[in-house]
Amino acid sequence: MRSLVVIGAIIIGIWSIIFLVGMVNGMIESYINNAIKNEVSHIKIHHPDFINDKESKYFISDITAIKNEVDSITGVKAVSYKTITNAMISSSHAGRGIMAIGVVPKYETNVSGVSQKMIAGKYLTDTKKNQILISKRTAKKLKVKLRSKVVLTFQNLDNEITMGAFRVVGMFETGNNIYDESIVFVCQKDLNTLLDINGNGHEVAILIDDLSELDSIQAKISKMYPDLLVRNYKEVQPELALFQSQIKMAGIIYMVIFMLALVFGIINTMMMAVLERVRELGMLMSVGMNKMKIFMMIVVETILLAMVAAPVGLILGYMTTSYFNKNGINLFFYSEEGMKQFGFDNFIYPNVPTDTYWQLVVAVSLTALLGSLYPAWKAIRLRPVEAIRGSFETRDGLMVWLFKFLRNKIRSIWT
Amino acid sequence: MDLIVTKGITKIYNPNKIPVHALQGIDLTIKKGEFTAIVGPSGSGKTTLLNIIGGLDRQTEGTVWIEGTDLTNLSDNKLIDFRKNKIGFVFQSYNLIPVFTAAENVGFIMLLQKRSKNEIDTRVLNLLKSVGIVEQMNKRPNQMSGGQQQRVAVARALASKPKFVLADEPTANLDSKSTTDLLDIMENLNKKEDMTFIFSTHDQRVIDRAHRVITIEDGKVVSDVNSSIN
Repeated sequence: MRSLVVIGAIIIGIWSIIFLVGMVNGMIESYINNAIKNEVSHIKIHHPDFINDKESKYFISDITAIKNEVDSITGVKAVSYKTITNAMISSSHAGRGIMAIGVVPKYETNVSGVSQKMIAGKYLTDTKKNQILISKRTAKKLKVKLRSKVVLTFQNLDNEITMGAFRVVGMFETGNNIYDESIVFVCQKDLNTLLDINGNGHEVAILIDDLSELDSIQAKISKMYPDLLVRNYKEVQPELALFQSQIKMAGIIYMVIFMLALVFGIINTMMMAVLERVRELGMLMSVGMNKMKIFMMIVVETILLAMVAAPVGLILGYMTTSYFNKNGINLFFYSEEGMKQFGFDNFIYPNVPTDTYWQLVVAVSLTALLGSLYPAWKAIRLRPVEAIRGSFETRDGLMVWLFKFLRNKIRSIWT
Repeated sequence: MDLIVTKGITKIYNPNKIPVHALQGIDLTIKKGEFTAIVGPSGSGKTTLLNIIGGLDRQTEGTVWIEGTDLTNLSDNKLIDFRKNKIGFVFQSYNLIPVFTAAENVGFIMLLQKRSKNEIDTRVLNLLKSVGIVEQMNKRPNQMSGGQQQRVAVARALASKPKFVLADEPTANLDSKSTTDLLDIMENLNKKEDMTFIFSTHDQRVIDRAHRVITIEDGKVVSDVNSSIN
């Protein structure tokens, strides 16, 4: 029964850690993928001054040619270009500040995931003039519906106020509330006409095939356009890297807490084992089993229990994360708004790298070893005379023993 | 031949707090082949004396020699080796390992002595035969009666080929029949193999069978009667 408790504790510990690592990785992936798909892409090209001051005059000339050149680079999956300007969106009920993004629908759908996040209406098309996509939240705040008219107001290149009426053709929901409330999408040609920057744009967004080639492709593009600013998604949104490291750190902290709990669980249970076997241990000491063998007996027993438990925990963890990796964990019931507020999907898909399993095998072995040391120490400090009668009275405690050991060592060196 | 010699054995518990004088200058000589009972009322010091002779406890003052070896000068590890090779123990509550069979309980001491498997198997069988429990050799302690368990304990005590066997109240938990059987076995081993047995007891049935009876009261030897028939 006692052995089963230790085995059970280790199984639950390993399973929890695998699940936790899976969840953490799933959340990181969800957040980053959402951000890349809907907001930042892998690489972006801007006019250097556009970053600090998002004025229309800081545009990239002949942006179509740049799009075509970048598209021909090996490893580039898709390229789109956009016009971006700060604007005021108004309905008959309300108005608010937003960022208007003018896109070329046929290119944008290859780079951005917004077209797949439509919850009403349809995505932009090249056929009709002055269409606009707004988020569900913006629609709610402006009190507009599909086919309602809204007015976008902004400054053109000559710093004159200009405006255009747009018809709501679709509503989207990316999963990131802050982002959703801050942007609207229109066709680039409509926006360019109003801004008077035809043939130009403010941003080139690039998706690549393999993330490991990010740096090399970025360097290649930077070389091609030395006058433009070429940045990867971590540079565009430094909080992504920060978030990634913070979530990873939180995961490590949780893992350490789990491991500590496991160590204390093992210590507690193995101490019970020693207590239950005081008579046996007393007898073994009496008949001549030396301290090293008794110490090793407790340590090996614990490690063997861990070796029995570890594969079960690993398999259970693998099965659980594999299942949820396919089906996802629906966090909707927990807090739909809360999760979206921070840019997560409702569904998290746990993902555990293979390395984690090997690391866990090593970590659990070390944990078992660590957890067995104190009970083993207590076992060898038993007094055989007392232990035979079932008394748990031991010799000096660890600190007293250490003190005496050091004192004797110092004395022996001194003399 | 003097097997055990004690000189001025004193044992004081809690010397720095409330001292308890368990033994006060015990001088004893026990020869090979003796069948000795150490008797006395509870708290008289007989178990303490047995523990000191067996190297399980250390005296406050005095000296113990076993076959000429002074136990006082042995380190803890050497004392463990000494116990393993020279002394057999029989405990009041048997102290068998519950997950081992009778044969394994007897044989594991020889494993500690690094004997060969063949030697262990042969000796275990012979010992279990000699204590009349060979049919129970594959049973675990919880499948045996108290008397049977104590017989296994006697076989275990003899497994390491000790110089003598110390038995602390070996019959305290046994009924009359089991006590008689156990004493027959031990007396037989004493006669046939010249094995030295030293008991601590206040069981009259053991006292009646002992060849030498040492009485201890308040930590002192008050009588030492030798009725040896050897």
